[in-house]
Parts: sequence; C-alpha cells; structure tokens
Amino acid sequence: MKFAYYPGCSARSTCAELNEATHQVAARLGLELVQLETATCTGARELRAIDPIGFHTLNIRILALAEREGLPLMTICNTCTLNLLDAEAAFVDEPHLADEVNARLAEEGLRYGGRTRISHFLWVLYEEIGMERLRQLVVRPLTGLTVAAFYGCHITRPPLRYGFVDSRNNVALERLAEVLGCRPIDYSGRTECCGFHTAAHDERIAIKLTGQHIKSAKANGAATMLTPCPLCHTVLDGFQREIERDMGERLDMPVLHLPQLVGLALGLAPAVLRLDRHMVATQAIARLLGT
Amino acid sequence: MSAQESTFGPLGPERLAAGEARRLGQRERQDTLAQRNAGLAVGDAVRVRIRRFDREGADEIQTFEVPCRKWMRVLDALNWIADNAAHDLAYRWFCGSKMCGTCAVRMNGREVLACWEAVEPDMTIEPLRNLPVIRDLVVDRAPFDEKVAALEPWIERPVTYPGFPEPLSHKEMKNASKALDCIGCMCCYSACPVIGLGDLTDFAGPAPLVQLGQTALDPRNDPAKVARSLARTGIFNCVSCYKCEEVCPASIPIVSRVIEPLKARAHALVPAMARHPRALRTIVAGRGRVDPGALILRLQGFWALRNLSRVLRLLLRGKINPLKTLLQRTTPASGAARRVLGREEEP
Repeated sequence: MKFAYYPGCSARSTCAELNEATHQVAARLGLELVQLETATCTGARELRAIDPIGFHTLNIRILALAEREGLPLMTICNTCTLNLLDAEAAFVDEPHLADEVNARLAEEGLRYGGRTRISHFLWVLYEEIGMERLRQLVVRPLTGLTVAAFYGCHITRPPLRYGFVDSRNNVALERLAEVLGCRPIDYSGRTECCGFHTAAHDERIAIKLTGQHIKSAKANGAATMLTPCPLCHTVLDGFQREIERDMGERLDMPVLHLPQLVGLALGLAPAVLRLDRHMVATQAIARLLGT
Repeated sequence: MSAQESTFGPLGPERLAAGEARRLGQRERQDTLAQRNAGLAVGDAVRVRIRRFDREGADEIQTFEVPCRKWMRVLDALNWIADNAAHDLAYRWFCGSKMCGTCAVRMNGREVLACWEAVEPDMTIEPLRNLPVIRDLVVDRAPFDEKVAALEPWIERPVTYPGFPEPLSHKEMKNASKALDCIGCMCCYSACPVIGLGDLTDFAGPAPLVQLGQTALDPRNDPAKVARSLARTGIFNCVSCYKCEEVCPASIPIVSRVIEPLKARAHALVPAMARHPRALRTIVAGRGRVDPGALILRLQGFWALRNLSRVLRLLLRGKINPLKTLLQRTTPASGAARRVLGREEEP
C-alpha cells in the first residue's frame, strides 16, 4: 500500500518524534510513504479565516501533488486533515472557487481533478490494514496499559464533516487501543478541546482547558494519554509543567502519539519511536511493558 | 474473531470501507437520529433525573419515571413531570416547534432543545451552563442580552439608501443569511469551552457573535460601525473546537460561516486584532511551513524567553531549534507558498 504522505508542520518541528515514529511504524505495516517535498502548510486555523483563497489554494495544491503521484493522501494531524477535507468539499461545491484555484495552480503546471482520497493514519489502520491483520502483527500486546484516548476536535467535529450527532460517540481510538492489548478508560476529556489554536498569543486558555482533561484522565486511572494530533500533543505534553503549576499539583501524565502506541505493540523499542523526545517522561510506560 | 465486549462496545467489522473509520461509533453507539428514536417503545419507563436548583444555588438531583408515549420529546417528559409529579418544576418553553429558542437544556451532557429532542431511556436533564440559574432549568439570559447590546448589532448605512430594489446578491449575503437562522437558544453559549472559563478572556462567545454576524456580515453595513463592534468581541480567542456547531439546533455552521468570516472582517477593518493570523500568514508565505519558534517570537518577542527553564527544557528535548528559526528561513515549500500567498505582508 502506497500513500502520499503529509506530516504537516508540527511533525516536522515541535513533534518531530511523531514523524519518525510514523515512518518506523509504516515500514512495519507495509505502508510505503511518498513524501511531498514541496507541500506547504495547510494554513492552520489562521489562514482560513483571513485569506480564504490562499487557504483553499494551498490545500488543493497538496491534493493536486498527491493526485499527480496517483496516490491517496495520508495525514497525521487533525487540523491538517480537516483543512484538507474542508478545502476538498469547497472545491466540489463551488465551481467558481475550483476554477480560481486551478488557475493559480496552473502557474506551476498543476491541476486538481478532484480524485485524491484523504485519510488520517487512524483511518488508514482501519480501512487499509484492518484490525485482524493488525492483531496478527502485534508481537508485544500492551497488556496492563490503561489508556485515555484524547481525540482532539478536528478529527470528530464538525458534524457537517464527520456526521456525529454527539462527537463523544467516536470510539475509533479506544477500539484500536483494545486491539493492541490496552485497556481504554472513559473520562470527561475524550473529545474536548486542548486550546492549542489560541496558545501562540495566549496560553492561558490551553492551560486551563487541558488541565481539566489530564486531571480527569488521571482520576480515572490512565497510565498514559493517547492522541492522533500533534497539536493536542503539544499542549498535553509540552505545556504540562505549566498546567501543573497552574493547578498546583503534579500530574506526570505521559502522552503518546498514536503511531507510538501502535509501534510499541508492534515490538519497536521506545527509543526508536523517540519516546525520549517528550517533555513528560515516558519511562513509566516502558517499565510497565517490561521494555 | 468473536465479538469482544468492552466499555466502548463490541468490535465491529475487521476492515472498514473507505470513509467508515471516521465515523466509527456512530452506528455502534446509536448516534443516528433514527436509532435514537427507535430506542424506546410506548409504555416503557423513561428515567428522568433532573438537577434542581433553588434561589440560593443549592442543587439536588431528583429522579422521575415517566411512561413513554409515541414520538415523545424531552419537553413532553418535563410536562408530564410538572403535571403529575413535581408541580413546582421550573422550565421554559413557548412554541414547542424549534422557533422560540427558550426550551434549551442539557440532556446527558449535551445541549438540546427540549421541544425537538427525542427522550432517551435514561436522561439527566440540567440547566444550560455559563449563565446564572434562576431556578431548576431556568437560566438568566441577561448576561447574553447585555453582551449583544454592547456589540451594537444593527446596520448603519454609510451612504444614502439607494431605493428599492437594492442590488444584493446571494453571494454577498451567504454568511449573514446563515447567521439569521439563529433562534437565540443559547445552546452554543452553554457548549463553548472558552466561555466556560469565565472572564479569563474577552471572548464574546458564539451566540453573541452569531447575533452580530447577522448585521456585521451584511455588505450594506458601515465598515466603521462594524469595526467598532468587532473590536469588542475578542474573536481571536475562539479555539475553533466546533462545539457550538455540534449543538446548534438550527444547524448554523457557526465557526466556518460566522466566526471565520467575522475574523476576516476584523483582519480587514481592525488589523491590530489579527496579529496572530497575520504573523502565521507571513511565516507560511516566507518559509512555506510554520516554524513554531518564529511564530512565538513574532507574537511575544523576547518576552517569550521570560520562562527560561521552560526554554531550556524545550531545547534539551529538541522541541525548538533556534538555529533553524533564525538562519534557515526557507524550505522546499517556500517557492510554492510565495507563489500562492504573494510576498510577505510585513517585515
């Protein structure tokens, strides 16, 4: 199985460990990833608000690059995924916009025909690998590891894109964790917001919101949190010391990227998955698993 | 593989078809309207727990059993309780048909209109969040009304009325038209996590912004007047979580068709408000990608170094790379970004 691979900006900088882990795990799963070297940022949340045409062009350009390779596109970031899905929907719904974007892309000899399938790594596991095959590939069942899945927003909302009446009903991460041998726990923060998108200008929202989520995960017995989004990871893991200071209590909650959890079950060493690159120590997980 | 029971339900098919994984749980957890409505039969007992408040703010949960009838709504259950079990139960409703916006409550942790939501076998009903409770399920809407009034949600014309018919296209009104679907039920205001943080920020919240969008997104409005209103919204403190869109009974795409277009207006009319998005755009236009260090430096300046121990921890884990931030100002994506976004807006 071959995919055009779009890691996004975060996995190339702050969360470089996610990029490394994804490559390692993809190799184990037999996924061939073709990097789109000239792919730009999808515009985060900011560009889509202030420059809709620029936003749509950047995103459709990424889809056009994948289409030129004749490959579906695999993402590993929630916000990138939703940006691409939204731009794709606008491209289909608004012919004028599609023409305008394609006129801009023509300057570099690109054209989008509307054929690129967008799939987050989480969905690739279900739709390309399948749970039965994944179970066969597990060499180190993560027995005893209690996991608090943290979806983040943009992989389960808005309803217009994902169709949930109540986004808390998403169970994709917990089902997957079970296949890997973990015990997923229920807690109040599962599909709540980490506050990342305002954190660059004001961290207080992220610190206050995410503090509640980590605390709830801990109170319900999680040994680790798990997220499919590097932006959520940045707050959950990268801001945790500031969150602890704000709450006045220690949390010490490790936070794994989705491919890292899969990689551990596939027998990859924590160092190979770059668990050492996290801000909150992950040794407790390694000890629990006897690695 | 045999079906395996767990907290999150039995495991489904082994390999899902394209597009199914993104809604995994919808079928399994009765997330569709049809499944929810089919959950109860006439005569079944509906267990209703109501969080009741008195004037002093003390609350207790009272439990009632209500006989289910055909097409029963949350409002029907409340009416049954008021008629048969708790005559003093306080709740609001008027039209019963999704128009007046007065009957919103939280059912099992989700904001719903009592008049438009089917009963569930086991329901906990609470008043909306983020507004003071007057009694039981009745909240005080005054803080919202005051906020909206302060935003001056009306049209001021910069030019004389040109007469009828006024040239106005669907395209020009497409976002304002969505905002005009608002019934003022406050579901979104209750669901908003930033509003839930109280006065931590100056964010006006989704419901007041939708009210403002009805006129601020109307092309006839005076830009100076719109700028004055937008300057009071704290709109860039919206975290884009889409909780407001999820609960909106009028199906208004609040983030994408109201808040983002208002942000675009703020960017054009009150540029000082849009420092964050403009900084991000500038970085992407130059580097092709976001360098988080560069973004923080642009927004916070050297004030970002105030927490030195944190900076050192980030350096130690390789989370930031000052050399790359300061010296490596282009990537293989730079050329394309510059072509698409044009040159940087500011130095």
